[in-house]
Amino acid sequence: MKRISVDIGGTFTDCFVAWDGRYIQSKALTTHHNLAQGFNEALDHACTTLDLRRDSVLHEVDSVRYATTLGTNALIERRGPQVGVIVTAGFEATIPLSRGRGYGEGLDELAKNDMSSGTRPDPLVPQTLIRPVDERIDYSGEVLLELSRDGVRRALRELVDAGAEALVVCLTNAVQNPGHELAVQEIFLAEYPAHQLGAIPMLLSHQLSGRKGEYVRAMSAIVDAFLHATMYHALSELEQNLRDHGYSRPMLVIHNSGGMAQLNSTDALQTIHSGPVAGISASEHLATQASLGNVVATDMGGTSFDIGLVPADGVKHYDFMPVIDRWLVSVPMIHLVTLGAGGGSIASYNRLHQSVSVGPRSAGSDPGPACYDRGGLLPTVTDADLLLGYLTPERYAGGQIKLNPQRSEFAIDEEFGDYLDLEPVEVARLIKAEVDEQMANGMAKELRIRGYLPAEFTMLAYGGNGPLHCCGIARHLGIDRVLAPPYSSVFSALGAGNMPQLHIHERSVPLVFFDASTKAIFTDFTRFNGIVAELEDKGRADLRRQGLPETAVRHRLELDMRYGNQLVTMAVVAQKPRLDGIGDVVGLMQLFANDYGRRFGQGSQSPEAGIRATTIRVASYVQGDTVEFDTAPPDGSATAAAPVGSRLCHFAGVAGAVDTPVFDESALEPGRSVPGPAIVTTPTTTYLVEPGWRIETGAHGAIWFLANPREQEDRQ
Amino acid sequence: MSDPGAAQFTPQDQEGVAAFLAGTTLFLGPDPEIMNDHRMAPRTADEDRLLSGPIDANALDRVRKRIVAGLDEAFEMMEQTGAAPGAKWGDLTSAVYSASGDLIHISTGGVLAFASVLHYPVRFISKYWANDPSVGIHDGDAFIHNDARYGNIHNTDQSMILPVFYDGELIAWVATIIHEGENGAKEPGGMPSSSESAYDDGIRMSPFKIVERGQIRRDLLTFLQNSVREPKLQYQDLKVKLYSAQRIKERLVALLDEVGRDAFVASLRKSLEDIEAEARRRIAELPDGTFRVNFFSDSTLRENVLLKYPCAVTVKGDELTVDWRGAAPQFLNRAFNATLGTAKCGLGQAVLGFFWPDLPRGISVMNPMEVLTDEGSCINPGLEAPLGQSLQGAFKTFGVVQALFAKMQYSCPEKYGSLIAPWFNQINTFLFGGLTQHGEFVGNVCADLNGMGGGARAHRDGENSMAPFFAAMADLGEQEIIEDDVPFLQLISKKIKRDAQGFGKHRGGMGYEIAVAARGTPLWGFATVSSGSKFPAVPGLFGGYGCPSYPLAKIKGVNVFQQMQGAPRNWSFDFETLMNAQPFTGARYTTHHMGMGFELADEGEVYMICQGSGGGYGDVLERDPEAVMADVEAGYLSPETARDVYFVVSDPATLAVDLAATEAARAEERQARLGRGRPYGDFVNEWVTPEPPQHLPYYGSWGDDNSIIHATAWTTQGPVRVSGPMNQLPQIMLPDPNLLALAAQQARIAELEARLQKLDGQ
Repeated sequence: MKRISVDIGGTFTDCFVAWDGRYIQSKALTTHHNLAQGFNEALDHACTTLDLRRDSVLHEVDSVRYATTLGTNALIERRGPQVGVIVTAGFEATIPLSRGRGYGEGLDELAKNDMSSGTRPDPLVPQTLIRPVDERIDYSGEVLLELSRDGVRRALRELVDAGAEALVVCLTNAVQNPGHELAVQEIFLAEYPAHQLGAIPMLLSHQLSGRKGEYVRAMSAIVDAFLHATMYHALSELEQNLRDHGYSRPMLVIHNSGGMAQLNSTDALQTIHSGPVAGISASEHLATQASLGNVVATDMGGTSFDIGLVPADGVKHYDFMPVIDRWLVSVPMIHLVTLGAGGGSIASYNRLHQSVSVGPRSAGSDPGPACYDRGGLLPTVTDADLLLGYLTPERYAGGQIKLNPQRSEFAIDEEFGDYLDLEPVEVARLIKAEVDEQMANGMAKELRIRGYLPAEFTMLAYGGNGPLHCCGIARHLGIDRVLAPPYSSVFSALGAGNMPQLHIHERSVPLVFFDASTKAIFTDFTRFNGIVAELEDKGRADLRRQGLPETAVRHRLELDMRYGNQLVTMAVVAQKPRLDGIGDVVGLMQLFANDYGRRFGQGSQSPEAGIRATTIRVASYVQGDTVEFDTAPPDGSATAAAPVGSRLCHFAGVAGAVDTPVFDESALEPGRSVPGPAIVTTPTTTYLVEPGWRIETGAHGAIWFLANPREQEDRQ
Repeated sequence: MSDPGAAQFTPQDQEGVAAFLAGTTLFLGPDPEIMNDHRMAPRTADEDRLLSGPIDANALDRVRKRIVAGLDEAFEMMEQTGAAPGAKWGDLTSAVYSASGDLIHISTGGVLAFASVLHYPVRFISKYWANDPSVGIHDGDAFIHNDARYGNIHNTDQSMILPVFYDGELIAWVATIIHEGENGAKEPGGMPSSSESAYDDGIRMSPFKIVERGQIRRDLLTFLQNSVREPKLQYQDLKVKLYSAQRIKERLVALLDEVGRDAFVASLRKSLEDIEAEARRRIAELPDGTFRVNFFSDSTLRENVLLKYPCAVTVKGDELTVDWRGAAPQFLNRAFNATLGTAKCGLGQAVLGFFWPDLPRGISVMNPMEVLTDEGSCINPGLEAPLGQSLQGAFKTFGVVQALFAKMQYSCPEKYGSLIAPWFNQINTFLFGGLTQHGEFVGNVCADLNGMGGGARAHRDGENSMAPFFAAMADLGEQEIIEDDVPFLQLISKKIKRDAQGFGKHRGGMGYEIAVAARGTPLWGFATVSSGSKFPAVPGLFGGYGCPSYPLAKIKGVNVFQQMQGAPRNWSFDFETLMNAQPFTGARYTTHHMGMGFELADEGEVYMICQGSGGGYGDVLERDPEAVMADVEAGYLSPETARDVYFVVSDPATLAVDLAATEAARAEERQARLGRGRPYGDFVNEWVTPEPPQHLPYYGSWGDDNSIIHATAWTTQGPVRVSGPMNQLPQIMLPDPNLLALAAQQARIAELEARLQKLDGQ
């Protein structure tokens, strides 16, 4: 297998090249003015390792795949066209009011709770660019009021006159009956042919999302319209660059649904958060290959801590209404939680409880932690890590940033000195404990709310600060093994290399599987199977359009189910692609009950209130070759690595300073072990092995943190 | 000389009498000793021991965070699994209480007030059921409760209360609360505005055991299901609350295993004491003095009246006294009365929701606060007073306190929230009930109650329809999803109501129009439960205007869905146009106050209301003319209002502001104001009367003397003004407005018949 996969982040472009069993990772700075430059540089680094020319490599690879945070950044920076929106009359303020709660989406809890200061973000579409048209369709799709065609013409004219550069149409209940949205498009094309307006795109909401929910569907279309041009131009530029250098196959773009598709089959909205989702996908692949069982994937960087779940039971955890930047949208996205905790998180004195708090404010990278000596005056997690002895001042970030511990001491003293009768290093110990526990609490909540026990999980720790804090986090959770995965510094890029080409199609279709009043069980199999077949056809057509053979297409059928009138549904993966009899319906209800009981407690199920399926979803995919790892957990045969020095460090639960061996990257070669306490310093990452833990290393740079049996006993 | 009677009682006699009296209690009603005490319990000897020595504040703080994480987990669980509209759209909470019943922590999201009245039933359970052999408190038990007289905002909220035992010791309580809606009240939906007695308020669950050692009592569950219109909802959400509370309990027990009993207990108590200490510190920052405001409500929800809600907050050192004496008396056959506990929730919400939103939400924030009320007033009524719309009282006690806090903190250098004009404080929404398109009987409330407009801030406008003042991050929902479950459409769903804003230098956040019509149901009806149709529900701040008043409008005797098919041009998605143009021949167009009791609606009949605006901040003449015209451009303001209220002169075609002309117009208006102005003494002489106008159905004190209450009582001779101290007033009961209307019609008929007879005689 020869393949290139790339994750274009805000700072770095990560590249992973699979070349007939050889795996090469490389990085370059992201070049925002022209993404191709950063990509070429990263690829060139890999080519140097392969001793091949870039053109030769591009000519021979089976695919080039991109995950990117480009869309997220464009949204944050509000770089996009003026979007005009047509809505059903009577719903003019649905978008500006953002379900009321839009003022707090994407903010921390304190900001959400301070209603006196609550302020909605600057809108992507102001009220002045929203036009109503007279029409109304009811919940079942019946037309109650015909579309006013003159009203559509008037609305279009006003929006164009007002300078709209992209148009969105979101009419109420359009997913049930798209007739009026299609009619608006028809009028638009007739009234404003391309030669008049150029290429003003018009997006119809029902084509972006098959789910009910007029606000989230409108926002999905608006975000898509807003990002479309930026994404399309940037990615087209990348594709042209590939063409220029000998690559002739379609470029593939990673989707946040956990799959990927060609550029021309990709909505901009589907690319948001695709980098972190690719990381979760890599975790899933790794978990399967190495039989890791339940895995919780964590990515701790400078400002945030991402959590993703990969349970062994195969349950897919989606966010159907994720928040993107400050906006609630409707797109089935792989579940991903981001906590505001990272190396740059600011520590402060909590006057109320006379304790140490960490976050949610972050010093970011500019000015950064106090020890960066770049003007930052507030103490951060990184300052604490430095004072505790974990970081090597002269080797931080490959030696690019010289850390100044005096700055850290000063910052801690300034913030805490008046209140706590403690030395700065003791305060640092509290900061470390606090941030570790915060992240552990966040992970515990994510796992427990879904019915999982944290102690039954393997934690994957990647991202710059993951290996430094993973022991501390795991200890709080009762997790006894942590894997800093192979190629962890380009882990999302690696994930992109393993994802299947996948399209998801879904329809809101209220189906009563069990009617509590009549005690009747669903029997309209023809209708159900017809919808599934229709969704499969759509997915198959998508994949065929990308040149994939129909015979290779596989489908996964998922139903969103609920009891009674609950709002939130749970995804149930059907064991069969069709319903052939009432037994199949009972089977689905049982699957739902099992998962519901596991999540919310056995006995919490309430089938007596009725059981409904609200959405039918089909994931159509073609599974390609994947990267093979030798990542079996250590068997105890590792040999001890030799330290290169030692220094005094401070650890939670251990009084005073501990003379701690320090290792360099050679300690991470396959088959080595490092007992804790220890520090392993590499140019990009620091591995902290806390007392009671040890490191054992596997192939491809897999690094296992294992709790010693005694540590486990102590916990029990 | 000794008392000869006293000598007859020996200690044994006294013991016997006490035992006799204890054994002959007729029924365990709400206990005034519990219900009048909003403060946390004193330290127990055990808590004193734990906190007297050196403590690890960081370790205890981490215990606190773990507890809150558990509450958040349960909150999310309830939100995901709850079936009531309230659960779906944010009207729920989870909480932890100490063994003494003090509210310690609540979930980060949700309704603070739900939890902040629940210490009353927790204490009731502890006091009365713990040692009662027929009840008892055991591990695995759970108690259900909804009766506001025992501590609840209103009877539509149901709570599940679980004891947490650790090594056999009752160490804490956990509770989960959801606004369930339907409760079997006189009207569907659980908030009956036409309630005429406490027995019209629906099922009243004093705290009782619904789960016995882990088993739901099916007999009691069946009784509850029989008592409400939605037995399915009653069943489903009872389990949701139970399993969510059990989840919290599991987390607490695991935490106890980890940190130990002493650290857990110490953390609970320290959290409370920390909050009190901080509250006192913040009060001490406020300038000493007394701050006063008077609010009025214009409705009993059945008729137009004027109800007074005075408030005087006195700051002295680190303590506050909140004086609500002088408020309107209780009405024994109207639904707007609020228990003292409910009324205090308004204070708690103002403090923790707006004044100090950063403070953890424990009961002890109220420790430095004294609350004064008149017994027998509408915010401290007797047990027989109906409470179906007790929100009215809590909304006003919130509003008066919020209005004062902005003034109290204005000069303080450190502020913990923004300086803000009063938030809109009425639930301008529809309650509904009937048979759905799926054949189920339902009764509940639309999520639009979450669309209250925010007050204007010192630094910017209020946010349009942002949240109810009592629940951050509440949700207006998605109409498409709602229409899947109920047989009515919002034909106007969300459209900002033009000109309906609290004007000011910064304007209040505006509300939106709603027009509903039933379709595809054999039986359906609506109700509305708000005041503020005649007199603004909230005032402005520092010269800003209050919110407008909002009517209910109906178009009856027409099926608009047929009109849409046959004569689509007749329909308009605009409240004003429909009511002014009256496009449907033969239909009846009427406007009303917003206290519409449940009313059956035929298919296609239209009911229209508006969500309300927050108060404005500052003088309209100081508003940026560009901001005024931006509102005009957005359709939020008419050019006429821009000109007449804000004195902004603009080009009618381009809406461009003519700055010079605007300044001239504003200067002219300032001069005109001076002309209209009066010296204060003259104004008082001209305006102030010794008592309320005789024709006005007025209730409450008049002027500064809050010891005398004025009220219009009904006698056999009709309405009579009475005045006196609260405890000397007659009980206020008003006649049924429908009977009055009938009597008026009968009188009119009699008059006409008499005239006819006279004519016949001629």
